[in-house]
Amino acid sequence: MRTQLAFSFDASRCSGCYACVVACQDQNDSDIAFRRVVPCEQGHYEHALISFFSLACFHCGDAPCVMVCPTGALFRDENNGIVHLNRDICVGCHSCILACPFGAPHFSADGKMVKCDLCYMRINHGMAPACVRVCPTRALGFGTTEEIGAEKAGKAGQLLIKHVLPGN
Amino acid sequence: MKNIDSLLSDDLIKAKIPGETSGIEIKKTICSICNPTTHCGIDAYVRNGTVIKVEGSLNHPHNEGTLCCKGAASRQYIYHPERIKAPLRKKGDGKSGLFEAIDWDSALDDIASRLQKIKVDSGPEAVVFFAGYSKWMRPFLQRLAHLFGTPNYCSESSTCFFATLISSMLTYGDMGGPDVEHARCLMMWSANPMHSETPDARHLMDAKQNGMKIIEVGPFLTPMSRLADLHLRLRPGTSGALALGMANIIIQENLHDLAFVSKWSYGFDAFKTYAAEFTPSVTSQITNVPAGLIIKAARLYATTKPAAMYNGASATVHHTNGVQNHRAIVTLIGLTGNFDCKGGNKVISPSYCHVPAGFVTREAEFEHPCPWDGMAPRAGHDRFPIWSAVVNEAQAMHVPTQIDTGVPYPIRAMVAFGLNYRMWPGSDHMQASLKKLDFLVDVDLFMTDSAKLADIVLPAASSFERSEMKIWPERYAMWTQPVIAPIGQSRSDIDIICDLADRLNLNDPLLSQGHEACMDWIMAPIGLKMAELKVSPQGRFIENQPLTPYLKYEKDGFATPTGKMEFTSSLLAEAGLDPLPRYMEPAISPVSTPHIAEKYPLVLTTGARLPMFIHSRTFRLPWNRMIRPDPKLDLNPLDARSRQISHNDWVQLETPRASIKVRANITEITPPGVVNMYHAFPGADVNLLIEPDYLDPISGYPGFKSLLCQINKTDNIDKECLCGHN
Repeated sequence: MRTQLAFSFDASRCSGCYACVVACQDQNDSDIAFRRVVPCEQGHYEHALISFFSLACFHCGDAPCVMVCPTGALFRDENNGIVHLNRDICVGCHSCILACPFGAPHFSADGKMVKCDLCYMRINHGMAPACVRVCPTRALGFGTTEEIGAEKAGKAGQLLIKHVLPGN
Repeated sequence: MKNIDSLLSDDLIKAKIPGETSGIEIKKTICSICNPTTHCGIDAYVRNGTVIKVEGSLNHPHNEGTLCCKGAASRQYIYHPERIKAPLRKKGDGKSGLFEAIDWDSALDDIASRLQKIKVDSGPEAVVFFAGYSKWMRPFLQRLAHLFGTPNYCSESSTCFFATLISSMLTYGDMGGPDVEHARCLMMWSANPMHSETPDARHLMDAKQNGMKIIEVGPFLTPMSRLADLHLRLRPGTSGALALGMANIIIQENLHDLAFVSKWSYGFDAFKTYAAEFTPSVTSQITNVPAGLIIKAARLYATTKPAAMYNGASATVHHTNGVQNHRAIVTLIGLTGNFDCKGGNKVISPSYCHVPAGFVTREAEFEHPCPWDGMAPRAGHDRFPIWSAVVNEAQAMHVPTQIDTGVPYPIRAMVAFGLNYRMWPGSDHMQASLKKLDFLVDVDLFMTDSAKLADIVLPAASSFERSEMKIWPERYAMWTQPVIAPIGQSRSDIDIICDLADRLNLNDPLLSQGHEACMDWIMAPIGLKMAELKVSPQGRFIENQPLTPYLKYEKDGFATPTGKMEFTSSLLAEAGLDPLPRYMEPAISPVSTPHIAEKYPLVLTTGARLPMFIHSRTFRLPWNRMIRPDPKLDLNPLDARSRQISHNDWVQLETPRASIKVRANITEITPPGVVNMYHAFPGADVNLLIEPDYLDPISGYPGFKSLLCQINKTDNIDKECLCGHN
């Protein structure tokens, strides 16, 4: 069975504070932010609402960027599903940004691609990715897809039980 | 060719993994970019004497490992190339505006001798001592000022929070904060904690998930709006009317706490009669909130027990009728029996630097060593008698007037820590007044526009470079240690103050002993010694103090002249002012000045919070600035369409006084008819658009949040970015 590490994101808790964006920049010493926060407005006065979405690299299980990369610079770690970039052989052709549906690839001053690497080194040393750690509302999380799914099912099950079988 | 070990350590260094191999050590400190209740605990990742990364401290009970985007950018703050590295003095006669670096001894001796001369010639009251952000040095600066002999210590609190406090003091003799943990309903009135107090954000969301109802009052869409059960998007400046309208519904439907009101209040009958004027339809007409929604909100707040109110620090008092508006708002707390009860608004005494931790220290004694009658009257004392009665500072909004007129005595000098003249309405007027001073000293980390006016500028250290005693509401305390050496010759503000006190020959037994000894003295009532705190660099809980009980008034009454909650304020009546929380239109509004509204039809409100900026701070940090590089106002799509303005167009934002050029953010954040412009943007100072005397006559607070304006598309369509520093 495949282990896939991933970010979890609870859109109902994202406050659009941009802490995740800057924490990533601070972690990576990068003026390019690998994470983006997108505001979303719905409706009109008097029934308008605003919400926010934070996204970086999704480390797709069948990553389009890996598929199109002509040099093989992009590859998946078969142990945990993280999509890595070997900058030594990246030629900066931009095919990945054409293929990625999420805008995850960025290009730095040397013309080569840079992107979120799920802070895999931090994870290997028992720490959370920088964006997850900083998030003041705990909208961002991470784990294996199994762990994320189990947690969500747990929370949903609890809520449903409380409605169906209210306690004393 | 690198060996495996050094490759490994390179990887660890790049990934910033702390430990022996990487040589990265985690050192504890705090961020002090924003308000004193918040200051998050920080893990500074230090390697070779340099901070290479910051993270929130997991074990710190206030922020629990989290930060905001400003704290996360700390390295760009600490290591900014524009940090002032040495004391600076204006060259020659100062006309060139250029500075030369001097040594600390020369700087402080020069300051001391010039202040002494002014004291001899014009009295100590001719010198103003001013404190901007952060507030950490304030008790020391205030003590210095009064020992020097001047009553004129003032601060940024002349426009923030104190008027909110005054409103509560007039009504209850005290102030209660929302007991969110136990509240079943929370009324958030003009507050945006998701962006301004990130440590509060997750507690609010958790409470919501546990079933707490939320009523949001405020013109704008915020991240909270989606979570709110009801959102009352009122016209800026009409909070007083809305509160009276809600009070009226509560009273008419007998939803008020009859027992509390009859036993513990004064002036209820007069209040009931007055509130009756604010029928749902009248209130709706004034506020633009639908009558049905006002009724729903009033009923929800009054019938959900317990209910708490979460107020912004200053939004509701940034109006010409601010204090009375806010009095009407907080009246709802006692009216519904939610004052100082569990899950309501709990009174917790401020312990140090305004942080409500519940135990009392000797801070008040420390900062006020001389009686008022031993000094000249404060600047603005007669103009703002209520302010002077309740607050132990001068009202800084009056300072430019007194500099200009010299009445009742001249003000000739200012010693400022973190001065920002753009804080004053009609900021160019304050700038001009400051230029008239004979002597101006400013302490700051950066050469701000205000520092440029000074005769001497002293470099301040950031929180990472100094020691500080800090307390949080969770009853957690830290004595921080510098995690890096001070940048250049920068020094701790408190060390500067103690040094100056010495050179002024004040011979103060406390200041002469330095920071640590003073803190021991201030904390003596709780027996907290700095030497003990130092043993725990990450901080520790203060455990030996009794918890604050609820319902203290049942034992002690209220600290008001009548001993009760005052619907009609005795202090206001005594001062010849209206004792009821009378609603008045903002002095400039579509209703009060229809002739101005003909040419300036849009309501303008200023000073709302963006997550990446706080007042004038952090604009020079690239990681924060890039989130919004250009000044932008929020404009509703309807108002944009009728002016043929498209998203991101450059526009002229104009009031009768002045205009600034900014981009238009076409957004539903602001309702139709209301323009929201954010303050402090370099090159686009919205405070230029406000008259210097547009103040609340009771508090002296500027009416930042209710004005009139017009917006015109500019012909100039170039994409020039007004990036620059304040």
